[in-house]
Amino acid sequence: MIATHGLTRAFDGVPAVEDVSFSVPAGTLFALLGPNGAGKTTTVRMLMGLIGPSAGTATVAGYRIGGGADAGRLLRRACGLLTEAPGFYDRMSAGDNLRFFGRLYGLSERTLRQQLEHFLKLLELWDRRDDAVGTFSKGMKQRLAIIRALFHDPKVVFLDEPTAGLDPEAALEVRELIARLKNEGRTIVVCTHNLDEAERLADAVGILRRRLLVCDTLERLRAGPEGDGSLTVQCTLTAPAADTALALRSGPPAPRVREVRAADVTLTARCLPDEVPRLVAWLVGRGAGIREVHAAADSLETIYLRAVRGER
Amino acid sequence: MTRSVVFLFLAREWHDTRHNSRVLPLYFVLPLVAVALPILLALMAPSMVRDLQRSAEPSTIALTQNLARLAEFQGLPPGEALARYVLRATAGMFLLIPIAIASTAAAFSIVGEKQQRTLEPILATPITDRQLLLGKLLATVGPTVAATWAAGFVAILVVDLVFASRGMAAPLPDRYWTMVLLVLAPALTVAVSLVTMRLSARSSDPQATVQMSALAVLPIFLLVVAVFGRLLTRSFPALLGACVLVLLLDFALFRMNVVRFRREEILTTWK
Repeated sequence: MIATHGLTRAFDGVPAVEDVSFSVPAGTLFALLGPNGAGKTTTVRMLMGLIGPSAGTATVAGYRIGGGADAGRLLRRACGLLTEAPGFYDRMSAGDNLRFFGRLYGLSERTLRQQLEHFLKLLELWDRRDDAVGTFSKGMKQRLAIIRALFHDPKVVFLDEPTAGLDPEAALEVRELIARLKNEGRTIVVCTHNLDEAERLADAVGILRRRLLVCDTLERLRAGPEGDGSLTVQCTLTAPAADTALALRSGPPAPRVREVRAADVTLTARCLPDEVPRLVAWLVGRGAGIREVHAAADSLETIYLRAVRGER
Repeated sequence: MTRSVVFLFLAREWHDTRHNSRVLPLYFVLPLVAVALPILLALMAPSMVRDLQRSAEPSTIALTQNLARLAEFQGLPPGEALARYVLRATAGMFLLIPIAIASTAAAFSIVGEKQQRTLEPILATPITDRQLLLGKLLATVGPTVAATWAAGFVAILVVDLVFASRGMAAPLPDRYWTMVLLVLAPALTVAVSLVTMRLSARSSDPQATVQMSALAVLPIFLLVVAVFGRLLTRSFPALLGACVLVLLLDFALFRMNVVRFRREEILTTWK
């Protein structure tokens, strides 16, 4: 549904996005992660055809970006965009705001009425449809903006920071809505800082910092950089872990572990699941006092930090 | 679709204008001023005639002689001819309404969307630049021209009633007033709106746009109005020529606005 090849965009000679290539199959939720200024919004704007690339190509919903005015119009019709700021006319009612944007999408009066009722009821805004948007909370405006991104029934939906600034309850509502959209089979691209959100929702993840540092399915990313299902083991000891880490790095008869690190009383290492009991036994045999052992596949946070810190 | 988009913007912008304390009063104050002047002149016409009859000023005598030679004033008493001539010149007031209103109202057109963060959602719809600009343009031009025409209609009605009450023929609308109200005022509104919209697209603050617009638009157009003001009292062909020139300017400015409307620039340079 989305395919980019070497997508690059520079502003005044300074690259904001460089050589970004990825593809998102239909019906997939792709999370685009990255620190502030990483180029997420620029990438989404290029994919929406709002700004042109300096180099590279992309196809979204069968339309090539930069393919002329008509292709641009068709592309925008096929996509829905939740912008970073909701952006509504505060003095107009929720219904009038949505009707205004719906008409810009060329929706007929009948379709508009049906879609408005369906989405406003779905997102529990039906009772507030005649109230001015200026009286809405941030969460309500965000839900309204999501309706605007959806009610022309787009094939591809771009959601830029959908839960930014929302309270936990509102954020949960929005996440549930995104999950529902995913279940409807829509192709969704979510730009977010919220790794927990991405981990819960995404099928695939791209980590962007000007360049695409990582791009894969969550399943494969969790299998570790080696792709063998390694786990990260964190052992909390009763004494500083530096000497133990040194001994562990020195090799046999120590268990086969990688990336051994010590921070105060915490020893961290990566190993295959079968090696975890051996590691614990080795620590006990060495007389290390163990308070806690935690072994788990890489969290998205670990994957993200490894990527942006250049550890991968 | 273009027509529905245009009316959509017209309705939405008017909704905003009704709540804009800076713009809304202009739609009432300026037309009132423009209406007052010809009515005052009409009311003062008898004293003007008396003053003229007593006057021995060579310039006044020369003016009345010149007026007597013009086809439309032939056969009229000198006082009435002079009153009608002065009334004709007040049509210039109806050119100031569009300049003042349009240069303020259009200042909010693009930058207002930027401030409300609604521009990106609008640009994300299938709307074309031409549709957006045409919608924005007519959203300013429509109410401004309506206010100008309403003021013109009231002025004509009252002036004619004043003349009728004195047993004189209705002086308005003459062909100069008709041309000014129906062609020149709308054409000037379009020109001023387009110049201001261009500034609005490049600006990040409506107040600054109003000031820039005043700097850029008002001196030029006031000069134009002053020249037209003289022309329209003397030569109908010159007035026609001026109308054609402003209409040509409108087309050129609209084309320039469309060509120079850069979505990218607006989205990426404004924070």
